[in-house]
Amino acid sequence: MVETGIPKLDEILGGGIPKGKSLVYYSQPGVEGEVFGMQTVYNTLKSGGNCVFVVSSTIPDIMKGLFKEYGWEIDEYKDRLFLVDAYNPLIGAPSNEKYIVSNPDCIESFNKIITDLIKELPPSTIVFGSLSTIMDLCGEKETIEAVRNWNKMAMLYNHVLVYNFTVWPYTNETLDIIKDDLFNAVISIGSIAERVIFGQYFGILKADWAKETRTSMLFRVLRPGGIKLFIPKILVTGPFDAGKSTFVHALSTQAISVDRLGTTIAMDHGHVDYKGFSADIFGTPGQERFDPIIKLLSGESMGVFLVVDSTNPADFVRAKHMLEITKSYGLPYVVVANKQDMPGALTLDEIREQFNLPGDVPVVPAVAKDKLGVFEAFEVLINKITGGT
Amino acid sequence: MSDYTFGIKELDDAIGGGIKKGSNIMLIGPPMSGKESILKLIAYHGAVNNENAIITVTTRESATNILEWFKENKLALPLSKIAIVDCVTKTLGGAAVENENIKIASSPVDLTGIGVKISQFFEDFFMKKNTRKIQLHINSLSTILMYSNIQTVFRFLHVFTGRIKAAGALGIYVIESGMHDEQAIATLKQLFDGMIEIKIENDKNFLRVVGLSSKPTPWFEYELEGAHVKILGEK
Repeated sequence: MVETGIPKLDEILGGGIPKGKSLVYYSQPGVEGEVFGMQTVYNTLKSGGNCVFVVSSTIPDIMKGLFKEYGWEIDEYKDRLFLVDAYNPLIGAPSNEKYIVSNPDCIESFNKIITDLIKELPPSTIVFGSLSTIMDLCGEKETIEAVRNWNKMAMLYNHVLVYNFTVWPYTNETLDIIKDDLFNAVISIGSIAERVIFGQYFGILKADWAKETRTSMLFRVLRPGGIKLFIPKILVTGPFDAGKSTFVHALSTQAISVDRLGTTIAMDHGHVDYKGFSADIFGTPGQERFDPIIKLLSGESMGVFLVVDSTNPADFVRAKHMLEITKSYGLPYVVVANKQDMPGALTLDEIREQFNLPGDVPVVPAVAKDKLGVFEAFEVLINKITGGT
Repeated sequence: MSDYTFGIKELDDAIGGGIKKGSNIMLIGPPMSGKESILKLIAYHGAVNNENAIITVTTRESATNILEWFKENKLALPLSKIAIVDCVTKTLGGAAVENENIKIASSPVDLTGIGVKISQFFEDFFMKKNTRKIQLHINSLSTILMYSNIQTVFRFLHVFTGRIKAAGALGIYVIESGMHDEQAIATLKQLFDGMIEIKIENDKNFLRVVGLSSKPTPWFEYELEGAHVKILGEK
């Protein structure tokens, strides 16, 4: 096994990447995906392995500088690190590296060097800094064929192959091959975006040696430090007496509320661990005089549950207003139609209509006091936050 | 009042007062026709008069040079609204230090990296500074096209013109005329809502805007007077 060095990922993969296997970091444009490959390079070196790093998108010396920015001193390991320069020849500049791809826009030129390295080196981790750049220069079909061949050879020679790939709008055919067919494992790296990116996550799309685990982890990239996981904050809001506190308590493994006379006056706080995804849950009070607190609590949230009392449409206007306060930052949200067991509860369609909700906003039925629909709502929101991948 | 204007009165009037949110515009003209100065003046005007945030991707001159230019021309930029993605300094081996206004991309080939920096600035303005009116300037696509082929650049732009549209921002992309074949320009044009065309005839500079109003504006003869675009008349 070779560890990727990405927190939590090795654990989910059952220890790392087995020898002979290939893995692709499949990142959406605008997301810091490049650092995944780099962190794997550094981790390999640190744990005593050999590493080949194919640099396609910049001068190798600049790449070394980037490692330093993350606080990763790779110089100490220079006898076990083999940089392949696939950039300098492209711009007609001389290269100081031992391994040079003489024509980075011709796949044959890559083939020669990579297959030689695969045959010559003892079992190593071979990391491609940017497969999409190789593809852009050498052609989609040609590159896919070459990669297929490298992956096969790696199996024979017991190497681990790791690729960074940026998901530009290539043809669907190409993307399908990359996602489904070409690699043993696909780690999808994406962003939580509503108009702009404001959070990044990674998840496992596929790993043929590990138990299929649908897990998403949110991360931040620190300089120095690299990839660090972080725990997101999710907001629960809704009108007075809609059942927010009950919802927070039903969802959380641990929760606490600040109450007075049975109603929340400051906030509820809970923590949930569900299917590998953990989050801090903050419930807001429902009465109007506490509105300033909602604004305060909603900062840096990743998503919102709007809990409404299905039997009380008179409060929907108020619910909408509360949503506006929290949604001022364009957060993804889910409407939780609580108290579905009560007589006179409106159906989901009626609620949708009364709210005039956009079609893509989910409404989830729930009976929070019996813990019904609570985890379903959580899953729906997480899916919405992570774009369903 | 529109969120976005060029800051050249005659031109803004000719397109009906301003530019629609979510527009992507190509700025095309021959070398040394003053394109870069015009772009900088649009940036300055947007930041000062329309409270726009300006994200500039530069592939030709360093971020420091750009900021110097404004200083030399005695234009006080509100720095909190300025963001520059510098794709030059690192490849030239210069000392590249990132700060609040400047992010350094590793090379003009590194579209992935450039994309990350643009997204980070967008996030900064949108989430932290609560600025929704954002202009993205890419100066220039011609340099990027020297390193990457047209399909690659098209894919890159496809993603970012889409984001501009979704965010209700404004994108301006500089291209050298005469440097690329007609087909390349035609391919890229699909991504844009309009263009600012610049031409030189008998040593006179002209510009017009196409696609942002029902018909093209007239050709305006202009002169760069220090840091101002002075319109001399219509053709």
